[in-house]
Amino acid sequence: MTDKVESKYSKRSSRWKLILLLLIVALVVAIIFCLNIGFAPISFSDILTILGKQIPILNRSINSSAVSTVNETIILQIRLPRVLAGALVGAGLAAAGVMYQGVFRNPMADSYLLGASAGASFGYTLAAIYAGSLALNFFGFGIFQIVAFVGAVLTVFLVYFMSRVGNKVPIATLLLSGIVVNIFILALQTVFELRSGKALIGIVAWIAGGFTNITWTNIYAVFPFVLIGTVLAYFFTKDLNMLAMGDDTAQHLGVNTERVRQIMLLTGSLITGAVVSISGVIGFVGLIIPHMTRLVIGPDHRILLPTSAIVGGIFLMLCDSLARIATGASELPVGVITALAGTPFFIYLLRKRKTSYSL
Amino acid sequence: MVLLSVDGVECRYGSVKILENVSLSVKEGDFVGILGPNGSGKTTLLKSISRTLKPYKGTILLDKTDIYSMKSVDLAKHMAIVPQESNIGFGFAALDIVLMGRNPHMKRFQMESEKDMAIVRKAMNRTNTWYLADRPINELSGGEKQRVVIARALAQEPKVLLLDEPLTHLDMINQLEIMDLVKGLCHTERLIVLTVIHDLNLAARYCNSALLLKDRKVFAVGTLDEVLTSKNIKSVFQVDAIVKKSLVTNSLYVIPLSPQKPSLARKCAIHIICGAGTGTLIMKALVDEGYEVTAGVLNMLDTDYESAELLKIPTVNEAPFSPITEQTKRANLEMINKAAMLVITSVPFGYGNLPNLETSLEAVKRGVRTYVIDEVPIEVRDFTGGKATALMAELRKHGAIFIKHPSELPTLVNATHDLMELRKHAQTEIPGHLKNEPKAITEPTGRKEPR
Repeated sequence: MTDKVESKYSKRSSRWKLILLLLIVALVVAIIFCLNIGFAPISFSDILTILGKQIPILNRSINSSAVSTVNETIILQIRLPRVLAGALVGAGLAAAGVMYQGVFRNPMADSYLLGASAGASFGYTLAAIYAGSLALNFFGFGIFQIVAFVGAVLTVFLVYFMSRVGNKVPIATLLLSGIVVNIFILALQTVFELRSGKALIGIVAWIAGGFTNITWTNIYAVFPFVLIGTVLAYFFTKDLNMLAMGDDTAQHLGVNTERVRQIMLLTGSLITGAVVSISGVIGFVGLIIPHMTRLVIGPDHRILLPTSAIVGGIFLMLCDSLARIATGASELPVGVITALAGTPFFIYLLRKRKTSYSL
Repeated sequence: MVLLSVDGVECRYGSVKILENVSLSVKEGDFVGILGPNGSGKTTLLKSISRTLKPYKGTILLDKTDIYSMKSVDLAKHMAIVPQESNIGFGFAALDIVLMGRNPHMKRFQMESEKDMAIVRKAMNRTNTWYLADRPINELSGGEKQRVVIARALAQEPKVLLLDEPLTHLDMINQLEIMDLVKGLCHTERLIVLTVIHDLNLAARYCNSALLLKDRKVFAVGTLDEVLTSKNIKSVFQVDAIVKKSLVTNSLYVIPLSPQKPSLARKCAIHIICGAGTGTLIMKALVDEGYEVTAGVLNMLDTDYESAELLKIPTVNEAPFSPITEQTKRANLEMINKAAMLVITSVPFGYGNLPNLETSLEAVKRGVRTYVIDEVPIEVRDFTGGKATALMAELRKHGAIFIKHPSELPTLVNATHDLMELRKHAQTEIPGHLKNEPKAITEPTGRKEPR
């Protein structure tokens, strides 16, 4: 029996590669599937033709004369950015969730708990009140994106430094500070909203989260954050495994725990800030997707981080597509869909695993 | 020769000193027990050696290198720690946990190699955990978990192994197995092992030297024979203890006596006639009640003789396996005459110790209050052809009190003692008034001047 275990472990690396490959295929299939969803009926063959034309070398052998330019515009300028934004935001939130949960050894930890969403919302609110007409473009970020990003990152750092005792950051203090700062910022935001006296429907809609006004520039701006952040985090996945044994044990196994924690926190909040700035506040993904993935593939962060990111991407993309078509004329906020679709599935996984689940 | 040397270490939390001027030198193959009461600084010392708590003063050198100048990865190649309680979540399999021990030897992106796997497998075989390899760690029992954690430490291939109370929450067999395992590793791998341990007996049995801490300072250091004395135990733990060498394990063992009670100091002597272990519990119980206990005649090497020695009870002795001579019989009677009460246990009687019964009869006749514990009928334990039985009957006739079970004795003895005390007071303070008035026991107010 145990020799089987040994061969299982020695083949682990190739098994992980296979899992990732399958998930990437699933991601591509999901993207194409989601591109098909919408009011204008565009066939799969048309979609494949339009996409294929964008790929160098391959496009020479594709005849696109049968596809209307309207459809091409719908796919390339409206649906594709939106679908990719869903994938990107979902991946970013899930990856950041893995980082936070791993670093804090706490199943409740995600970037929102540390104030990222509150900071972003507050920044957005300030911008809507005082600088709504300011036309600014900074590497693809508009004024709203910039303030939301800055708000999210600053808040997480505020929480982190608030909880610092000596040169250590106790986890319980950190989470408590996060909760307190969240409440405080929410109160501040309410004060500003009420004082401004403006109609702030835009803010409410933004806070609910969604992908209505996504453009390619948004994608270009956020993509590096998610990609570089996740790759950087991947360097530290072995350390995250050891952090699960407790700080002292991790140190005794040669991990520089405080440095790992700082890097993860920085990376996680940059990713979160970036994705929140284009999507608004979408809950559930950062918290639940890592848990779901862990239940299926196990706790090793070396495979957990990349799979969670891809699963998060697929999940949010599908939820957003559902949001687009669910209620006809007006869209459902995607956060509603993520919660409605994700919760039953999560409970199913939790129940199927009869063993106690602890993080 | 690998050497770990702790030199003048002082640790502080803020401005509070929690460890003062600790020095220690340990060489490979040494198994050192760090002993001391709660709060004496044991875990602090271990923390400073494991680089978790940087000393305020002093140095810790491993092979002449200051461990605080090393990178944590490099130290992890030489030093492994088994923590007090491993809080392991996440549902990693046991094999995953042990593989983590290879981390200090691996590069950041490297997967575990064949060689790592072989080392891990060896470590798990060593700790008898290979059969648990694919089991989630959080589903293992305390002992299994502890063995897995030790396997992880071994996978680090360390020179120094630190254990922080590795036996808490473990049952007897697991405690022994873990200690056997560590001792074996210390011996075969020539490891330096330091363990914080509360169980003095296990420390005495497995460690080859000890460091005894008291009030954050070193109280004693050296071999177990030097450190584990009843005097040291009394000063450090405030517990009276008997320290003996076990013939079975050839190591010291410690029998703690009750922590010193505010002694009732009943100034009253009780003599016990016993033997073959029938008197041990009674002697202990009466000593605990505060009586001055004496015993005899006992043959040397008899269980009760050894107990009396341990309890520091004066005895009249006879040579091993020899009948009681006239001389010792007389010495015993003298001792009984100094006692206020006499207790005879359910000891078997043969011709050798029959004189003890004869002495008892004499004492009863002189009016010594005598209790006979008649747990086993005298006929069963009479090996004198009826002589002992006859003497027992005589004892009963002359007023000895027979009780069925030794547990009844302390209550009876206490009541007798109190009654005697009251009578004494009655005689001296209010002459004649309460004399021979048993009512006085229940009416202490009667001592006031009646109108």
